[in-house]
Amino acid sequence: MNSKHKLVTRRDFMRGTIGVTLGTSLLGVKWFEGKGAAARSSLVTVVRDKNVMDASMNVDANILKKMLEQTVIQVTGKENSKNAWLSLVKPEDTVGLVSTKHLHPTHDELVDAVTNALVDAGIPKNKILMAQGGPEKPKACTALIVLPSLKAHYLTGIGTVLKSYIRYSGNPSSFHYENSAKLAENWTLPFVKGKTKLIIVDALYPLCDKGPQPDPRYKWAYNGLIAGTDPVAVETVCLKIITEKRRALRGEPWPLSPPPLCVEAADKVYGLGTSKMEEITIKHLGWEKDLLLK
Amino acid sequence: MRGRFNKIRGYSNTTFSMVTIIVLSSLLGGLTTLMEEDKLNLPKTIGAWTRPDSPQIITSENIFDYMDGAGELYLGYRFDHLEVYEYTADNQDDILVELYFMKSSDDAFGLLSQDWGGDPVDFDPSSVSKATQNIAPSHRALYGGGLLRIWSDNLYIRIMAYRETPQSKEAVLSLGQAIAENRKHPPQAQLLQILHLTVDSDWKLRSDRIAYFRSYLVLNSFYYLSHENILNLDLSTEAVTAPYENITTTGERKRVQFLFIKYENPERSEQALDNFLKAYLPEHKKDFTPGSTAKSSNFYEVEDGWLGYQLFGKCIALVFGCPHQESAQMIINQMATNLSKIGAVS
Repeated sequence: MNSKHKLVTRRDFMRGTIGVTLGTSLLGVKWFEGKGAAARSSLVTVVRDKNVMDASMNVDANILKKMLEQTVIQVTGKENSKNAWLSLVKPEDTVGLVSTKHLHPTHDELVDAVTNALVDAGIPKNKILMAQGGPEKPKACTALIVLPSLKAHYLTGIGTVLKSYIRYSGNPSSFHYENSAKLAENWTLPFVKGKTKLIIVDALYPLCDKGPQPDPRYKWAYNGLIAGTDPVAVETVCLKIITEKRRALRGEPWPLSPPPLCVEAADKVYGLGTSKMEEITIKHLGWEKDLLLK
Repeated sequence: MRGRFNKIRGYSNTTFSMVTIIVLSSLLGGLTTLMEEDKLNLPKTIGAWTRPDSPQIITSENIFDYMDGAGELYLGYRFDHLEVYEYTADNQDDILVELYFMKSSDDAFGLLSQDWGGDPVDFDPSSVSKATQNIAPSHRALYGGGLLRIWSDNLYIRIMAYRETPQSKEAVLSLGQAIAENRKHPPQAQLLQILHLTVDSDWKLRSDRIAYFRSYLVLNSFYYLSHENILNLDLSTEAVTAPYENITTTGERKRVQFLFIKYENPERSEQALDNFLKAYLPEHKKDFTPGSTAKSSNFYEVEDGWLGYQLFGKCIALVFGCPHQESAQMIINQMATNLSKIGAVS
């Protein structure tokens, strides 16, 4: 352990000083102090439809397509789906779709819906790539659309948005241990930075504990898509939903363990977005029941 | 039909506590059994489902290829290998059978102790009645939502229907019965004997939250201390953690977390305690000189209450989040009365 190494412990978490401790360790106190000072605002949309899945959890592709249209229109403020997509990506872009592949994967239906929407908007199909994998994947893309599934994670607390680029590091397992708070580092890699155009979280059937190896007792039909352009804000809203679901399941607070340090660090150390709910505007459309965001 | 994790149906709320699955024996009667080489009674067919002749073998070398991001859990225990079968059937989702061969019964027990939730299933009623010394829940198999988890001697078993239906549930339970029957039923890990069910009548053990483990990653999934291994846990150590709760007459609930670790020898426990204190209580660093750490108990007030610890030979007892020093002292003192039960002082 070198002399500059600052160990993060439960006590930092209780004090709310993860950012300070990590910022000091990684970048120096002065750098850290400048972050998070300006007033910020991020929009996160939550679109739900109670009929998007049937009782057997089969996805209705037509309803999902409509949810996706509502999502991109709300996120971009454009008048229709085509213009919404074209405000995010251009026909000359090579667009990488970054979905969750293992254990609790993104629904194929969502990946298909996004692909079809991009094609309808004028992106050539051969310029839409599946971009989950090693560092060569983002290098081949000029734009990235992140499509993670909503899930808790055994090693990092939450394993949804910020974890999506873990393989781009070339050394993913290192981010499961003492570096788990530094997951946002992968969003600042030179061949990744600035390419992320949209995050759409598959919250159709999330997993609120024991992820990524799924235990069906902790999955539930939320029937939603959660989206935005600020990855930290989207992750923060996801975290709120998972936290509230856990509380509802046990009838008492049931905090994620380990705590998702990566979310606060993504904000306060890496300046990737906001982790403060008061700085996030949530726009909700559709099904109200058990929204878990009140 | 290929199974899909994202198509698992929500779990049924139907409870069937302590169901004896003896009746399922009839279903198994006509089954072809193989696997004599490893003495497991794994049927070739179960209802409409059929398994391949040989399993996929997973070792510590390729476990991350099989379960990216989840292998750490199993490697945090003394893992030998994993055998995986997928039972398939026409017009039905698959049933996944994972047989985790661990190096001891304690390791398989530790995996079940990750979560005591679900509906208890009793494949062998005699195993429960024999277990008179249970501190943790006495169940050896738990079912919920299509997933059956079993501790059977040195085996930890996960059997999961990708889609729960009455038929797949019956098949999952029948497979569990077939695999677990006629195997040994060793007792729960001896280290659990350190725990008292109550402390001074005020503090009650949450036995449904007891966890047995060897890895700091597993500890963090129950009670986060640090993303670094500040207690020097490894496969040569064993540990148990559990909360104690005090519910006052006004209904206020207080919870403390007890942690007990047994190392290979007193040198290692002393070294681990030194490391922990320097990492967790850095403002008191000057108080901790090597070899001086806590022959007697010590207490510090930190952000979430009082922390207490004491070194007992090759063991360390710690308690976190206590409302006052006296409660921390009382809990540690009472646990100390059980040291002889676990062979802690040598």
